[in-house]
Amino acid sequence: MLDKEPVGDYLNVNVPPYSYNPSSWSQRIPICVLAMVAAIISSYMSLYQWDFIDSTWDPFFGDGTDTVLKSKTAKQMYAFLGIHDAALGVLAYIGDAVLGFAGSTRRWQYRPWLVILFGIDVIPLGIVSVVLVLCQAFVVGSWCFLCLVTAGISLILVYWAWDEVRVSLAYLRIVWMQNRSARVLWNAFWGIRSEALDHAATTLLQREVA
Amino acid sequence: MWGRVIEIMIAVWIALSPFIFRAQDDLVVLWADQVVAAAIVLLAALSYWSRLRYAHLGSLFIALALIIWGRTSGSPPPPIHQNHIVIGLLLMMIAIIPNDASMPHEVWSRERLSP
Repeated sequence: MLDKEPVGDYLNVNVPPYSYNPSSWSQRIPICVLAMVAAIISSYMSLYQWDFIDSTWDPFFGDGTDTVLKSKTAKQMYAFLGIHDAALGVLAYIGDAVLGFAGSTRRWQYRPWLVILFGIDVIPLGIVSVVLVLCQAFVVGSWCFLCLVTAGISLILVYWAWDEVRVSLAYLRIVWMQNRSARVLWNAFWGIRSEALDHAATTLLQREVA
Repeated sequence: MWGRVIEIMIAVWIALSPFIFRAQDDLVVLWADQVVAAAIVLLAALSYWSRLRYAHLGSLFIALALIIWGRTSGSPPPPIHQNHIVIGLLLMMIAIIPNDASMPHEVWSRERLSP
């Protein structure tokens, strides 16, 4: 049975355990903006690695940033990847922004695949990039101020993105618990609508806010 | 449809790349880039037709081919092929973005099922 309702009434709803909607624009736009800031910083470092500029700005570690960006480790990464690691960082941060921007304010239910992909781009890759930056400092023996800034931004992005990923995973968990069907779970992941999925979302939305 | 618009902008960049990276004398690169750019524009344009709304996913294969072509063209690859790797990765992340990405899918937005 179908029951017509205006779209705007149910898109932007608070999702327990949070007292806000983790998929709302006010939650996602800051992530996109911060990711683009990190992308710009990484682009600047890429310019140095590609020899478009002679040196980089580093207010604390002297030529530390230059040393790290042109280190043997960085060159090994370049030989392995085919592009500089800073350029790969640019793409990863643009990915955070693009995947953060796509989807409606109820994408945690309507497009879980997009939220999960966004989570994979932000959370594990963000943590790995922070670990790599710290390893680089210990392996190369120099500190890179701009690398530390982008690593700090990665950690903030992980913190900001977690709530939406958690809500989407909680929704998929409810779908599984209520139906015990891989097919229904698969449909939920790709946002293929059914009454079972609406019921799962209602269950999640009726939970108590912590 | 902003994803499709960005794909078309990427295609324009690919078409211009041989001239930007001064590889226009290499006819394989020159023509391959023009064909790739045309294919991306075609797939993006077809996505505007509702019956072929998923046509943009075809750009994923083009993106993969660009990455493989760029990565297997030397170590490290020359600038034109580094461009292929970067653009391939960028195209891959844009090509998965659905049409009307900021709105719910049609089946969710048209009407609500009662629980």
